Amino acid sequence: MDIVLTINGRPHHLSVEPRVVLLDALRDRIGLTGTKKGCDQGQCGACTVLIDGQRVLSCFVLAATVTGEITTIEGLAPEGGPLHPMQQAFIEQDALQCGYCTPGQILSAIACVHEGHAGSAEEVREYMSGNLCRCAAYPNIVQAVLQAAPQMDATAGPTSAETV
Amino acid sequence: MRPFALEMADTPAAATNYATQSAGTYLAGGTVLLDLMKLDVIEPQTLVDINALADTYGAIEADDDGITLGALVRMAEAERHPAIRRDYPVIRDALWQAASPQLRNMASLGGNVLQRTRCSYFRDVSWPECNKRAPGSGCAAIGGNNRRLAVLGVSDHCIASYPGDFANALVALGAEVGLRSADGSERRVPFEDLHRLPGDTPEMETNLVPGELITAFHVPAGPWTRRSLYRKVRDRTSYDFALASAVVALHLEDGVVAAARIGLGGVAATPWRAHEAEAALTGRPLDEAAAEHAAEAAFAGAVTHGGNDFKPELGRRTLVRALLEAAAMEVLP
Amino acid sequence: MTIQGPIRPQPFSRIGKPTPRIDGAAKVTGRALYPSDESVPHAAHAFLVTSPIARGRVAGFDLGDARAVPGFLDFLCHENVGGQAKPPKQMAGGETTTTMESDRIWHDGQIIGVVLADSFEAAREAAFKVRIQTEAEPPSATFGSAGTTEEQREDEQKEDFAVGDAEMALAAAPVMLDAWYETPTQHHNAIELFTTTCAWNGRQLTIWEPSQFVYGLRGNVAQQLGIEPADIRVVSKFVGGAFGSKGGATARTAWIAIAARRLGRPVKLVATRDQGFTIATYRAETRHHLRLGANGEGRLTAVSHEGWEVTSRPSFYNVSGTETTARMYAAPNILTRVAVVHADRNTPGFMRAPPEQPYMFPLECAMDELAARLGIDPIELRRRNEPARDPVTGLAFSGRHLMTCFDRGAAEFGWNRRNAQPASMRDGDWLVGLGCAASTYTANIAASTARVTLRPDGQAQVRLAGHDIGTGAYTVVAITAADRLGLPVGQVTVEMGDTEYPPAALAAGSSHTASITHAVVRACDALLAQIATAATASNAGAFAGREPATLSLRDGHLVAPDDSSESLADAVGRISAGAVEAYAENVPDGMPADAIGKLYQGQLPILRGQKRVDMTAYSFGAQFVEVRIHARTREIRVPRMLGAFSAGTILNPTTARSQLMGGMIWGLGSALLEKTEIDQRAARYTNDNIAEYHIAVNADVRRVDVMMLPEPDGAVNPLGIKGIGELGIVGVNAAVANAVFHATGQRVRRLPIRIEDLL
Repeated sequence: MDIVLTINGRPHHLSVEPRVVLLDALRDRIGLTGTKKGCDQGQCGACTVLIDGQRVLSCFVLAATVTGEITTIEGLAPEGGPLHPMQQAFIEQDALQCGYCTPGQILSAIACVHEGHAGSAEEVREYMSGNLCRCAAYPNIVQAVLQAAPQMDATAGPTSAETV
Repeated sequence: MRPFALEMADTPAAATNYATQSAGTYLAGGTVLLDLMKLDVIEPQTLVDINALADTYGAIEADDDGITLGALVRMAEAERHPAIRRDYPVIRDALWQAASPQLRNMASLGGNVLQRTRCSYFRDVSWPECNKRAPGSGCAAIGGNNRRLAVLGVSDHCIASYPGDFANALVALGAEVGLRSADGSERRVPFEDLHRLPGDTPEMETNLVPGELITAFHVPAGPWTRRSLYRKVRDRTSYDFALASAVVALHLEDGVVAAARIGLGGVAATPWRAHEAEAALTGRPLDEAAAEHAAEAAFAGAVTHGGNDFKPELGRRTLVRALLEAAAMEVLP
Repeated sequence: MTIQGPIRPQPFSRIGKPTPRIDGAAKVTGRALYPSDESVPHAAHAFLVTSPIARGRVAGFDLGDARAVPGFLDFLCHENVGGQAKPPKQMAGGETTTTMESDRIWHDGQIIGVVLADSFEAAREAAFKVRIQTEAEPPSATFGSAGTTEEQREDEQKEDFAVGDAEMALAAAPVMLDAWYETPTQHHNAIELFTTTCAWNGRQLTIWEPSQFVYGLRGNVAQQLGIEPADIRVVSKFVGGAFGSKGGATARTAWIAIAARRLGRPVKLVATRDQGFTIATYRAETRHHLRLGANGEGRLTAVSHEGWEVTSRPSFYNVSGTETTARMYAAPNILTRVAVVHADRNTPGFMRAPPEQPYMFPLECAMDELAARLGIDPIELRRRNEPARDPVTGLAFSGRHLMTCFDRGAAEFGWNRRNAQPASMRDGDWLVGLGCAASTYTANIAASTARVTLRPDGQAQVRLAGHDIGTGAYTVVAITAADRLGLPVGQVTVEMGDTEYPPAALAAGSSHTASITHAVVRACDALLAQIATAATASNAGAFAGREPATLSLRDGHLVAPDDSSESLADAVGRISAGAVEAYAENVPDGMPADAIGKLYQGQLPILRGQKRVDMTAYSFGAQFVEVRIHARTREIRVPRMLGAFSAGTILNPTTARSQLMGGMIWGLGSALLEKTEIDQRAARYTNDNIAEYHIAVNADVRRVDVMMLPEPDGAVNPLGIKGIGELGIVGVNAAVANAVFHATGQRVRRLPIRIEDLL
């Protein structure tokens, strides 16, 4: 099937079988390898991307069915430009170790804030539980989300469109 | 994952046509379907993408008669809905404690109630014995690792547990499910009749006829819906299936149970309504003894298989806890 | 140039200041390239075919349907490529299970074939369509299964101890504790999957694979394929979690290399999550018989620790944590024994704190049980049994501050608010329990090398084939070099994870920071020596004619003790307009001189803290845990953990705290969540996914406090580094079990502790 995916504001034309999931399309066809494969079964959250601002698991999305705008980790900050407040907070709070789950954590965290689920540490813990971190940086991840949340309110990014 | 044809349905009629003429399987959120296709457990020839039908089946409407949830409402949308939060807290609780935020953004309510069992012997095709996957092949879970599997509604052919949360609230609250068939006709049936007990045909999980499309769930209003909650007991604090869960909705008059609606999760073959427990409570003051009496009734028919021997006891305790917590809820008049 | 001899003290050290990860920006932007992220044009995709039975033989394959899949390229199995590779050599345990070398099936999920196709989707589909014929025999799953065999382990690397006469002392002891404990099978489950990409260019093979030891992988694949190590390059710039699972070579690498050679094009494998349970290693289940004899004051008269560990049929892999538990407390009579039980399973291997995590559990529970029996506070019991010297060898400890950890930790944790009576503390519907346990881990160090360059503009580069598996190794190397070269950390770039660079040791066993930073220091010192020698030999400049050894690098200058200085532009530019370069090797004291040669060959020359002849070297810690258990439904939650650790020099408190915290959360998971379930009939893992193999999620973790106590230990190694990768996990499982006992009065001696254990 010939499809067009809008990723980080740019259209990508590709020809895929219906069974190609968005995760593999991003990594193997388009070369956006920041989105990670950790289980391919919807269990780890490493493949989290935003579609129209909503966090979803790209391993469970058929590429050919995507109509919305996709944001991946590569789309959060321009090359050489300032980092997204969530990215900056992850560095400052050391909210990562091996870094493999980190792109998914960050995209999930941005959505968590936009959903209004970053009101307290307890709420962040619950609403970030879909992203496993085997290095177990969890307490630092919570701190990063709480740090970035007020900064994000002030800076409406491309992913801030909350659609309910 | 085997190859398949992908059809995009932009009207309900197109959806049911694809489903009947191409033996298609409906694709909404994909969180169950693609999972099982990647495991080679299911091999649909055709997927019918129905996400474009959200204009028709994607609304939540509340009125004095109850609340209607379109089948293409996402779990996360329903979790956030003000009428659900105010008037049906058990639905909210069952939703936010299910899966993960990402999965709840994806999964439709219609797909969620059709969630398949997490039984390892069903999900791993290298086990030859699974009556649900390969009818007549046997049940490896009996005599195997069955800690997470069911104790209510099971048979000698299958002890798989229904893993979901939301459906337990629907069944307890006496919801109806709206269905659209291939000829365009619509019907509403009790949600309790949607799922089938395994019996000697565990491969048949629902009473849906081929091509039939779930369109909506209608939850009737009742004096018990505001005093309702979902208590989920699991190993992990979040992102985990229930070992045991309980739906409780109570109508109390001066501390006496005028009506009770009780559902159980994590312990049964299907979304499970505990009619015996409801009957045991009705007309009694809700105290610990009454709650325990009801819990005994709920699990009177439990059958265990070693690894899940603890489940009746945990299930009873979970229900007692839920009943006492529901009785203690501060409820809007 | 190799410089051995003492490492100079550094008078102006900025080591120990919190420093953000230098690779943080790459990781938060998705630019960090993990091996499967590398762009390898025109790669074919591999999908593994694994055994559906645990014991027997492959009788044949029916490939008709698989070959019909569009995009199918090739199928590898023992019949067509079995003779082309030898099994990888194990770092411990001798022989291991084979894969496609023959038709033999040793365990469920063993690699028996590899499908190659043009796309991942086609490879997976074709693999599904391979019909496997087997001749099955009844398998043996684990302890107690029919057909297992048990033997006292024979292992030249491991020792049993018999100090005094423990049996007699136990028989005579006024108080004896005699109990059995169990720990479960566990899998690492790093979030990154096991991946391998191979490409040939003539005789040259490049392997992109996440690895804790790129030279080890190179050497191993070379011997498997019968080619020269120099013809192989292994690239592993970033590793998405390892925890021991990516330390040794596994079978898959050679088969992917052979596949790429057959196809004449690169081949990429991303194994599935469930395959990861059987194509690599795991932590085997263990059983323990622990006996403590004590007098009425709680002074130990005897410690007897017997362990049983499961392994595969051909391997005697074992962890023998008795080598540590025997040294923990001052008992005059000590007896240890370890047996291995062979079953039809894949071969186990290193997993975070391989010996201590399972073996300290029984000891630290037993100490808690003894304390309760005697009515002595568990911390006080440990104080009364604190040894002055290693109870086994009589050697001095290189630094043992266990009681300081307990005392400082207890004060911070509020241990004095604990009512000693079990089941006495409650908060509403929740039973409250407080527990503690000791942690310890051997201080290890391995031989390593490094290359450093410095440019006149003050930009430095460090290259070594070290590994940042999430530990912050890139950053500590930069800190170390910056400190030694007198530069800001931001002026140091670090390149690792590539056999193009000089070799570094295995990143495991809490040894890597010590191993690589000593080599980096030596390389920096060699570089300084070049600069200083040139400056003093020069006829002009501030330092002409001075003694080179008096000069040092500070704030971008070459400086003398009298503060006279010269800019790097002058000092480096005097030698080269490009860059000055130095290479150095570090062979820790007590290691054989051929250590570096072995390292280049991919072997691991490591000096273990309990094997030293000059001292016994361990780090220590005290773990404190609060549990809350619902009075009715018995969910066990952990609102608070605190660890107080004494682990020598902490180079970077930022990353060290994260690593210790991560270890503690691993301990929490090991106590309450993690268990690989095995079907006894089929010897097959049944929760081989990370929905049902439970690792902790964010909501499981609440407050985690990490205290890093200052511990100058100049004896253990020149920089005083003792390692922290494992220390955080050890003892947490016991502390949780002890807290559960305190909350409920129920003693659970089998992990993980689950709801049903407390109903």
